[in-house]
Amino acid sequence: MLEVSGIDVFRGETQVLWEISIRVHLGERVAILGSNGAGKSTFLAAVTGVLPPRRGDILFKGESLVGMKPHQITQLGVAVVPEGRRVYREMTVAENLEMGAYPKRGRAQLKKTMEHVMCIFPVLAGRSRQPAGTLSGGEQQMLAIGRALMSRPELLLIDELSLGLAPLITKEIFRTLDNLADEITILLVEQNVEQALRHSKRAYILESGRLTRSGISSELMEDDDIRRAYLGL
Amino acid sequence: MLALATMNGLVIGAIYALAALGVSLVVGIMNVINFAHGELYILAGYFSYILADTLGMHFVLAMVLAVALVFLFGIFVEYTLIRPTYGNDMYSLILTFILSIVLQNAYLLIFGPYPNKPPGWVGGATHVFGAFYYGNQRLAALVAGAVVIAFVFVLVKKTWFGRIIRATSQDREMAELNGVNTTRLNMLSFGLGCALAAAAGVILAPVFPVTPTAGVPVALTAFVVVVLGGMGSLWGCVVGGLILGLVENLGAAYISTGYKHVFNFIILILVLLVRPAGLFGRREA
Repeated sequence: MLEVSGIDVFRGETQVLWEISIRVHLGERVAILGSNGAGKSTFLAAVTGVLPPRRGDILFKGESLVGMKPHQITQLGVAVVPEGRRVYREMTVAENLEMGAYPKRGRAQLKKTMEHVMCIFPVLAGRSRQPAGTLSGGEQQMLAIGRALMSRPELLLIDELSLGLAPLITKEIFRTLDNLADEITILLVEQNVEQALRHSKRAYILESGRLTRSGISSELMEDDDIRRAYLGL
Repeated sequence: MLALATMNGLVIGAIYALAALGVSLVVGIMNVINFAHGELYILAGYFSYILADTLGMHFVLAMVLAVALVFLFGIFVEYTLIRPTYGNDMYSLILTFILSIVLQNAYLLIFGPYPNKPPGWVGGATHVFGAFYYGNQRLAALVAGAVVIAFVFVLVKKTWFGRIIRATSQDREMAELNGVNTTRLNMLSFGLGCALAAAAGVILAPVFPVTPTAGVPVALTAFVVVVLGGMGSLWGCVVGGLILGLVENLGAAYISTGYKHVFNFIILILVLLVRPAGLFGRREA
């Protein structure tokens, strides 16, 4: 479904990613792991069109995304839950969700999708008239995920789901995402290696802008190097 | 005298609010300050003068057409002057400043320094509150201003266009990720900002005739209103506009007409001392 082959990405004149190649198949859940500054968010910026790669290609359902603007990529069915959630703080919860449905693919069935999202995150239903800025961090994360789902995406990109959230809430949101598994393909970018491995099928490990390992998540979890480097065991 | 000055203040205040809404919209979405805002206000006055007076169109048609022409002119300005400057706010500041000087001199060349006035909509006067007679034309201007302001509120609060405007002014990159074509939105909102200046112009021109430089004080006051009301707040524009309109006219009536514009800045300084973000401004802004 998503096929990234050998991309080099720069921020200004500084190269951040070197020859990254990643594949995500239909219905799969894949994690990209790495510590702070490894280039995880930059990778997502490249896929979403915010930071086009200088070399290499990104194919989504066989179509090249390189050179497309972020709003065009969104129309194709790629949705992103950005790092730090970035809900529209002064707009209500309902308006935030409506913004998510702005792409043509979401607008047609706005009402139905919104009911569906409220079903997945019942806490949002009770707060739909509240400004998003008044929600707690966990609720804002649920809203950010809900907003992404509103465009009825085929591929969901999630950046640092656990950032700034209590472990219990992180766990709860991960579990909710597990239940979405068959509807949607998810690419997860995470610093919280343990949670991410537990809730993904395959994983790639990114270190200082280069891919160093990849494999089945449950096997990586048992790997001594990874346990030592990332899980503190 | 009090009632008369208050009425005058309301009429002017509504126009200030309208002009300020245009400034606020463009600043909020594009972070561009359009120094030619006042000249677009005047441009619409001249258009409605030419269309209604010289070409003999019905005044309503002339006004709508004048606003539409300024909207298109705004889109043209965005496309040719503003778009290449994205990423450097200083360039657009300088370019719109130059544009304002060019337009002023163009008006001077074409129309001369004389005041021009499109025909009034209504004649006569109404006995208001049993207290004094007030020109019907000014009352009509007040109503028209209020209608356009209400239209802007509905547009921003209730429609898809308003939703993407608000989302984009809060988080531009996120809006883009939500599928908003921000380049096109910039063009439309700049045009709309100009159209609001134009609406203020065509409504007020029959009361205060247009001259090549008559837009300068209006634009200046509009900037003051935006800061006074708080950046990015619609209500701030309306309340701020009315406050300045009232202060200006009451001050002129009771203290001195010579200090008309000084009162505005005194109010601005006082408000900013107490509320640095403006009356309705966000704290962090």
